[in-house]
Amino acid sequence: MLFWSLMALAAVAASWRVFRPYAAPPPGLRALGARDHAFVSAASEAMFPAGGALPPGGESVPGYVDDFVAERPAQLRLLMRLLFFLCEHATIVFPAPGGGGRRRFTRLPVAARASYLQGWGESRLAARRLVFTSLRAILTLAYLGDPAVLGELGLAPMAIDTPVCPADLLWPRAGRTREEIAYGPEDVTVPGAGSPLGPDS
Amino acid sequence: MSGGMNGAVRIFADYTGDVHERADVVVVGSGPGGAVVAHGLAAAGHDVILVEEGPPFTPDDFELDGARSMARTLREGGLRATRGYMLSTMQAIALGGGSLVNSAICVRSPQETLDGWCSDFALERTTRADLDPHYDAVEKFLGIEPTPDDVQGDRNLLFRDGCNALGYSSEPIARNVRGCRGSGECFTGCRARAKQSMDISYVPAAIAAGARVLTSVQVQQVTTAGRRATGVAGQVARPFTGELSHRVRIEAKVVVLAAGCMATPVLLQRSGGLANASGQAGENLQFHPGVAIMGVFPERTHPEFGATQGYQSLQFIPEGFKLETLWAPPGVFAVRLPGIGTELKQRLAEIPYCAVWDAIASCNRSLGRVRARRRGMDPALHWRFDPQDVQILKRALQVLAELLFAAGARKILPGVGRLPEEMHSLDEAEALRRHDLRADDLTCGGNHAFSSTRMHGDPHRGVVGEDGRCHDLDNLYVADTGILPRSPAVNPMLTCMALAHRVAAGIAERI
Ligand SMILES: Cc1cc2nc3c(=O)[nH]c(=O)nc-3n(C[C@H](O)[C@H](O)[C@H](O)COP(=O)(O)OP(=O)(O)OC[C@H]3O[C@@H](n4cnc5c(N)ncnc54)[C@H](O)[C@@H]3O)c2cc1C
Ligand code: SF4
Repeated sequence: MLFWSLMALAAVAASWRVFRPYAAPPPGLRALGARDHAFVSAASEAMFPAGGALPPGGESVPGYVDDFVAERPAQLRLLMRLLFFLCEHATIVFPAPGGGGRRRFTRLPVAARASYLQGWGESRLAARRLVFTSLRAILTLAYLGDPAVLGELGLAPMAIDTPVCPADLLWPRAGRTREEIAYGPEDVTVPGAGSPLGPDS
Repeated sequence: MSGGMNGAVRIFADYTGDVHERADVVVVGSGPGGAVVAHGLAAAGHDVILVEEGPPFTPDDFELDGARSMARTLREGGLRATRGYMLSTMQAIALGGGSLVNSAICVRSPQETLDGWCSDFALERTTRADLDPHYDAVEKFLGIEPTPDDVQGDRNLLFRDGCNALGYSSEPIARNVRGCRGSGECFTGCRARAKQSMDISYVPAAIAAGARVLTSVQVQQVTTAGRRATGVAGQVARPFTGELSHRVRIEAKVVVLAAGCMATPVLLQRSGGLANASGQAGENLQFHPGVAIMGVFPERTHPEFGATQGYQSLQFIPEGFKLETLWAPPGVFAVRLPGIGTELKQRLAEIPYCAVWDAIASCNRSLGRVRARRRGMDPALHWRFDPQDVQILKRALQVLAELLFAAGARKILPGVGRLPEEMHSLDEAEALRRHDLRADDLTCGGNHAFSSTRMHGDPHRGVVGEDGRCHDLDNLYVADTGILPRSPAVNPMLTCMALAHRVAAGIAERI
């Protein structure tokens, strides 16, 4: 009886590690669930920690990743969320060194998360390396998608006063109605590209 | 069913019901191939309808962030890749096709390359001398000129310096650009309206000459009767979501497919295996796989300023590769930087000190195929990287490393598997020479894609003849990069446009 009680307790403890609920994510997410959001935040903290040359990966990273995932085709969306799920739970099957036993990735201390990810990046298994590089790619896009980071690097986009060309009189912004064409002939500031009546007519 | 068209361009909001139109010629796809054909035929007085699945973009639609932009302008959100060897490849979905997002590099194929096409593909009228009048016409129309020094910026000019130091030839890249401001953002759309992408050049010119343009229409089938194409059928597609609605049917005396070398074979397959007596439709898919090395310089290079790709070297064309400078939105190009944590952050902090140079290779042994998927119009791509072609890139990597150090780089990040992440001297870069380089060691991209409906003088061995007409049908033409019989040795857009110019002239003579 005691044995079975202990077994039951162990099972409850194990499933708690896997199924323990996540903190509610900020409202308005388009593609990520609570688990994905928690994972992306935790991975970003490990990938871009405080200290060093640039600011830490802040709150903007999960928001960016949410948009990034939401804007891909359905099949890729699913694959990306699977990737997050896999990374989040792999540490239960293969515990992270310094992580205090079998815990979800999001429950690990930052240093253990970083060394775990690094391990994947240096793995002899190509599939593991691919998981790591895919994750790093998504997070790096998100990190550098933050205008504050770009500003810090001095890589903010150049200020450009956009001229109006004849094509701008032909259609409105993508997805808008014809009435929303913003310009008339008097606004044109650069001549017809390829000069429509050019020599090669 | 609607009758005549409401204005010269239809946008998504204009479609209120099914569409049925008639024209002399229907052209599918508004990229460099389709736009040139549509303009040529409209200017010759023919009644032309140009159909494009993507929407027209205005500068207000451009997203400066690379990933956000990719989601809007590129098929499969910009994450398309081949199977077999995983090569990432990008195709646009926009009025103007690839020209909206490309770097505007316009280079004529060398004479030797075109001579090789003629001898190996039984072609009689595709020498450099044959194509020069067509190159001339396109270059004149688009104002193609070498990139001026004042918009090169350090990361392009350092390339010139490296080449000079080593005695390699180099030159400013000729581009279809008027009034470049050196914003380095060709990939996300030119806010300066300087890049002469098709949507602001050939397409408006075609409209001025009387062409009608249907945007946001996905063509799904070519209709036929015996040996004749009778038109195309498809559906209206909502911008960015692709949601399909009203039916579209266009009847025409001539059908020109210029949907790009990935989509045209899918269309042929979806139309009952059309134009495939040779068995070559969708075969022979080729790329210019590219590798890039980042060099970090002692001083800031201000990489945010300068033409996206401003300098090149054609010195190594005989060895199978071409060298170029390269820039992309920082996020996009930083995804390949190695490391994690503060180490990764340090590398990102070095971006303002960097120059990135790439090599694209003619890999004529590495072939793939395009197949329609079970559903939808996206292609299933398979491509194999031939080990001998991998060695071309090995040599290219060595030259890139040499050049970066000759230009004064203090270290390079070669991005090659099983080698150190950083190399600090030419001695360390020797590792590139000693490496038993395998395809898996490389992270390649291949945005130049071609040959999936190749031109061949022998109807048993190719899909179209020299005039772009399908061997199997009297009035079905192809005018995208699919008709290149193999690598053009240099960036393919200008040669695609020159061939399209010739296709238009041929059609004008026949109808
Ligand atoms: C990032 C990038 C940079 C590049 N830089 C250069 C460069 O500097 N120089 C160079 O020479 N080349 C460059 N290239 C390659 C070049 O852009 C392409 O080779 C060129 O655009 C091919 O032209 P195309 O007309 O064959 O096809 P595309 O440009 O792909 O045009 C095909 C058009 O057909 C439309 N279409 C597809 N299917 C359908 C359908 N079913 N119904 C209706 N419409 C459809 C597409 O939406 C698209 O607009 C680059 C490519 C990329 C992605
Ligand atoms: S570098 Fe900038 S200004 Fe020049 S063509 Fe490209 S996007 Fe336009």
